[in-house]
Amino acid sequence: MARLVLDNITKSFGTVQVINGIDLAIAHREFVVFVGPSGCGKSTMLRMIAGLESVSGGRIVIGDRDVTHVAPSKREIAMVFQSYALFPHLTVAENIGFGLRLANTPKAEIDRQVGEVARTLQIEQLLERKPRHLSGGQRQRVAIGRSIIRNPKVFLFDEPLSNLDASLRVQMRLEIARLHQRLDATMVYVTHDQTEAMSLADRIVVFNAGRIEQVGTPIELYEKPANTFVAGFIGAPSMNFIEARIDSSGGAPIARFGPASIPLADAERRFQPGGVTLGVRPEHILIAEGRTPDFTATVEIVEKLGAESLVYLQTGFSPDPVTMRVSPEHPVKPGDSLPLCLDQNRVHCFASDGAAI
Amino acid sequence: MERETGVWRLVFLALPLGVFTVLVIWPLASSFYYSFTNWNGFSDNFEFVGFSNFNKLWTDKLFFNAAVNTAIWMVAAVLIPTLLGLGLALLIDSRIPGGPVFKSIFYFPICLSAVVVGQIWIWIYQPDWGLLNVAIGAVTGSSPDFAWLAKPDTALGSVIAAWAWQHTGLAMVIYLAGLTSIPEDLLEVCEIEGASTWQRLRVVIIPLLTPATVVVVALNVINSLKGFEILYIMTGGGPFNSSDTLAMHMYNESFKKYLMGYGSAISVVLFIVALTIIGIYFRELKKVDEIYG
Ligand SMILES: Nc1ncnc2c1ncn2[C@@H]1O[C@H](COP(=O)(O)OP(=O)(O)OP(=O)(O)O)[C@@H](O)[C@H]1O
Ligand SMILES: [Mg+2]
Repeated sequence: MARLVLDNITKSFGTVQVINGIDLAIAHREFVVFVGPSGCGKSTMLRMIAGLESVSGGRIVIGDRDVTHVAPSKREIAMVFQSYALFPHLTVAENIGFGLRLANTPKAEIDRQVGEVARTLQIEQLLERKPRHLSGGQRQRVAIGRSIIRNPKVFLFDEPLSNLDASLRVQMRLEIARLHQRLDATMVYVTHDQTEAMSLADRIVVFNAGRIEQVGTPIELYEKPANTFVAGFIGAPSMNFIEARIDSSGGAPIARFGPASIPLADAERRFQPGGVTLGVRPEHILIAEGRTPDFTATVEIVEKLGAESLVYLQTGFSPDPVTMRVSPEHPVKPGDSLPLCLDQNRVHCFASDGAAI
Repeated sequence: MERETGVWRLVFLALPLGVFTVLVIWPLASSFYYSFTNWNGFSDNFEFVGFSNFNKLWTDKLFFNAAVNTAIWMVAAVLIPTLLGLGLALLIDSRIPGGPVFKSIFYFPICLSAVVVGQIWIWIYQPDWGLLNVAIGAVTGSSPDFAWLAKPDTALGSVIAAWAWQHTGLAMVIYLAGLTSIPEDLLEVCEIEGASTWQRLRVVIIPLLTPATVVVVALNVINSLKGFEILYIMTGGGPFNSSDTLAMHMYNESFKKYLMGYGSAISVVLFIVALTIIGIYFRELKKVDEIYG
């Protein structure tokens, strides 16, 4: 079983600690995606799993084996790089069969395995070409082929699609998902494209400054973010944050911001009177048709994306524009004044330290 | 406007073209011209002798000897600095302690002229108090007085060693630059795929250094073709013509025996050989471009 356990991993470069105690257990066949802002340590963590970077502290277990100090080639991992990392002087076939050649596998056997891998990736017609005569998507396929042929327990991907254009990225994303279904392997995938993360992951790990902010399924992170960082990071366009005051004088707590006040009916949440940050996803701001609006706002910009339109609103209570989604047919235009309500059951509350209440 | 730029182009090109004509085309053309004459180098009386200078080459034992030595010289003068330079670059790149210091030390000789290098090595090879014999003496406990440059068996080899000493540094510096341009992730792939040090070198690093090798070999070929001065200074082609090369032979025939016509014929042969080597080289260069360009 190819589970992967990270046990209190730390990493320092010189005096700078970039990974601050990562604990994570990844199950056999799980597809885990690392996301986080640039420089938060995703690549460093992945490279430590691969063995390309030593750990400063902690343990890495793959399967039932402690591999913390095992050479990369003995860890039963394969890695796909953002840069593809193909050898320019070798043909596609030689690139894919590189590891087998190093292991002195007989030529016929190399050819057979390379052929098989090329078939699954549909690059058979490219086998004799050199990498520079391939498109980006084809190169990445070859790089993936080189990792498949190793038959690893754990696949590691470091932003494998970020050098591809948007449509190809979607296509390759699907292919990686398919690959994961077909292969009996665990996958760890680094990206900062959160659509990629949401669509591929069984579980997403949100990194920030060398720590894990939250681990969960895409829906969990979307619906129950543990703090403002995760709430703001997951979902595009981002969640709106609104500063509000809690008023519990009338019994049930009420959040007041600007002219608006919304009841926070959720009995399980315990509120201290005082400040709170409300988190509202763009799709949870609704046009008040026939209802009493919570507030009104002025339309600043409308982005028509085809399947939906994004409306940026100016409000009296938030310095930043508030974003909402409307259906593309809605005749909203800049300058309009819209009566709006919030989907009150979907409003997130965060304490002053950022943690969800 | 158009025409004016055309005129200016000519004006600006005139000087370099003039220099090129005077220094390259003219001597080359005169060599071809004199190779068909029996000119002695100074007299106004000379005749056209057709191909007889070239026919003489076939029977000239010294020419044959010089051709063989030239071949040895060229192969050694290209191969040895290239291989040593590669080896040193790999060593320094692997971050051995003192790397940067070695780098400067090995690069230093390239700054010296052939005359200086030749003189330094004449001292090193000096039979009685030269560094080489002293060092051998210190190791073996004897006191050798071997005359390295005065023995037919060792003369050419000794000059080649001096040459290699001077030219290894350049190869090393170019290879070092080549090594830093190898993408880190390709080496990491080697690590993940479990390549041994030797495999990594043979399958990945050396092939990826091809662009550097192209430059190093080109420079060494050009330098070795020009490698006349150091031979002239250290052995003058001797003893008994044992370190004679085509350039040296040409010099001796033209300026010592006053057979300018015959000397010119040798220079024409030398020119054709050089042209062939450069032609082959450019053809290979295209293939390299195909992969790495
Ligand atoms: N070899 C190194 N030496 C010193 N610092 C390093 C080294 N490698 C990474 N770092 C630092 O470690 C931190 C984490 O880097 P890392 O590459 O893991 O970030 P990342 O999350 O992958 O970012 P990105 O999304 O931009 O790829 C950064 O601050 C980076 O500057
Ligand atoms: Mg990274």
